[in-house]
Amino acid sequence: MNSDLAFDALADPVRREILAVLAETEECSSGALAERITSVGRTAVSSHLRVLKIAGLVSERRAGRFRYYSVDPSGSAKDVLAVLHQVFRTGLQSVNDAVPESVNDAVPESVNDGVPESVNDGVPESTAESGDRPA
Amino acid sequence: MSVLTLTAQEEVSAPPRVVFGLFGAGAGAGWVFDAVCDRVAPGAAVTLRAPLDPAGEPVEILGRIGTLRPGRLIEIVHDQPWRGRTVLRFAAHGSGTRVRLQSELDQPGFEWLLRRRGHALRSSPGENPALGLLTSKSGPGNLFAAASDNMATLALEEINADGGLRGRPVDLVIGDDATDPATGAREARRLAAAGCRTILVATTSATFVAVSEAMVDTDVLLVQTLMNEGGIDDALRIQLGERPAAQLAAAAGPMMRSAGGHRWFLAGNDYCWPRRTHAVARELLPRLGGRLVGERFAPLGTTDFADVIEAVERSGADVALSTFVGADAAAFQRQCHEHGLHHRCLTLAPAMDESTLARIGAGATAGLHTVSGYVETLDTDGNCALLSRYRQRFGRWAPPLSTLSESVFEGAHIWFAATVRAGTDDPRSVARAMHDARFDLPRGTVTLDGNGLVGQRIHVSEAVGTELRVITPG
Repeated sequence: MNSDLAFDALADPVRREILAVLAETEECSSGALAERITSVGRTAVSSHLRVLKIAGLVSERRAGRFRYYSVDPSGSAKDVLAVLHQVFRTGLQSVNDAVPESVNDAVPESVNDGVPESVNDGVPESTAESGDRPA
Repeated sequence: MSVLTLTAQEEVSAPPRVVFGLFGAGAGAGWVFDAVCDRVAPGAAVTLRAPLDPAGEPVEILGRIGTLRPGRLIEIVHDQPWRGRTVLRFAAHGSGTRVRLQSELDQPGFEWLLRRRGHALRSSPGENPALGLLTSKSGPGNLFAAASDNMATLALEEINADGGLRGRPVDLVIGDDATDPATGAREARRLAAAGCRTILVATTSATFVAVSEAMVDTDVLLVQTLMNEGGIDDALRIQLGERPAAQLAAAAGPMMRSAGGHRWFLAGNDYCWPRRTHAVARELLPRLGGRLVGERFAPLGTTDFADVIEAVERSGADVALSTFVGADAAAFQRQCHEHGLHHRCLTLAPAMDESTLARIGAGATAGLHTVSGYVETLDTDGNCALLSRYRQRFGRWAPPLSTLSESVFEGAHIWFAATVRAGTDDPRSVARAMHDARFDLPRGTVTLDGNGLVGQRIHVSEAVGTELRVITPG
């Protein structure tokens, strides 16, 4: 993996967007990827994937006439993303240990304590899309 | 700005109301839930200690609580070491709770993490002219520097909106000294390699001195924007900011009158700026009617100040001159307050800033004073306009401005005015054009004489909650 190339590869917003999509999914076919990236056409997605591949940020697997892409497991981008994922996951895993014992046996007092995740809570869901964020 | 979003999810065997209540409670619920904050309420300062480096110290993520929906959602808007939002959502799941975390990582944050993890990233000049900013995104200085890169970003956006440098936009390249002089020197060399011919330095003086020495053979202009002890004589070194002699001369009288006594204790971090400030105090205060009753130093990064506080107490001081900075200043002030020191003496802390006050918390700032050329509440037209643009650009939860961070905004505009005056961004010409000049800035008029001595109005301020309010006309 060449970090210099990775730095250049990440300078492009579409390539960052591709990487964000791949960071969410284990593996993604070129077709599925082109559907997710709507800012540019299919051909442009392919050429961006080539740049990411050469930079060592993304690896490619061929199966028949399909190509599948994933964040390169040996690369520095993968290292950073994996470490962050791991750190956030372990950060949440300890929550169970801190739950008071008495609570575990108790019946929830009200079913209105929680809300389904689909309810609009006023905070925009983060997405991996490129574009200006509201300040 | 493009962001990557990382997600994590966990099912917890307790109802949402109970799980929500664990946040900020210090209940040993992991580093995310064990966030340090005085209260769980919108606007409250919050620190997350992320174990990003298993072998080293945790990385502090500094921010404020944004949106809060009890039992349902906590949003943390953070600024250090990168800007973004981390949102915790709580949903009933059977008899328990599903906790979902989403955390944003922007491009500068991603690059910061790559470097922090030891991945070498090439630094080569881009197509556009570049201005460097060396700041402290980690280590004890991360507190006072929380708004520094926002300030540089805002200044360059204004400069670029006006056409940039000879029609080209100026790129901002940011380095993190990790509040460590050797790291600062390495980062400054990286910024130079990335094409920065001028680097604004908004770190401790210890880093500025190390960077200045490390860059002695390069043709790069280094501008220290924030308060400093001066003393570096070189055509390619400019030291803006307040100087200890001017600060102490302005504050000594008002402090002794407010305290009703003249005994001073000097306490601060052990590096060049506090040492020089104390030296000036030892010389100046007796001439102004003060009497010195003690002095202590503690290394930067100290967390327990019991010995120092006991020494201040025993000395019977009326005024403590505190030259602690960043996280040390926050810890010292909180511990002084716990000991009730504010009932016996006032504190003058020249490097105390609004962002550090937010960490100390409104309940522990009684008796705290500062002396500076700028405070966020400064009532000038220039400052009102700046604050309005800042909030519009970075949102209501962005860290407060202070004399330390606002100096970066001014440093960028002073640099740009000098490039216009010089007709070039050649470092030597720009440095010359900064001298014998006056600049109208949010803090008021700032002058630089032929020897590089800064002139500006100095105000004594008192902490009221987490704000600084001017108590003396400059």
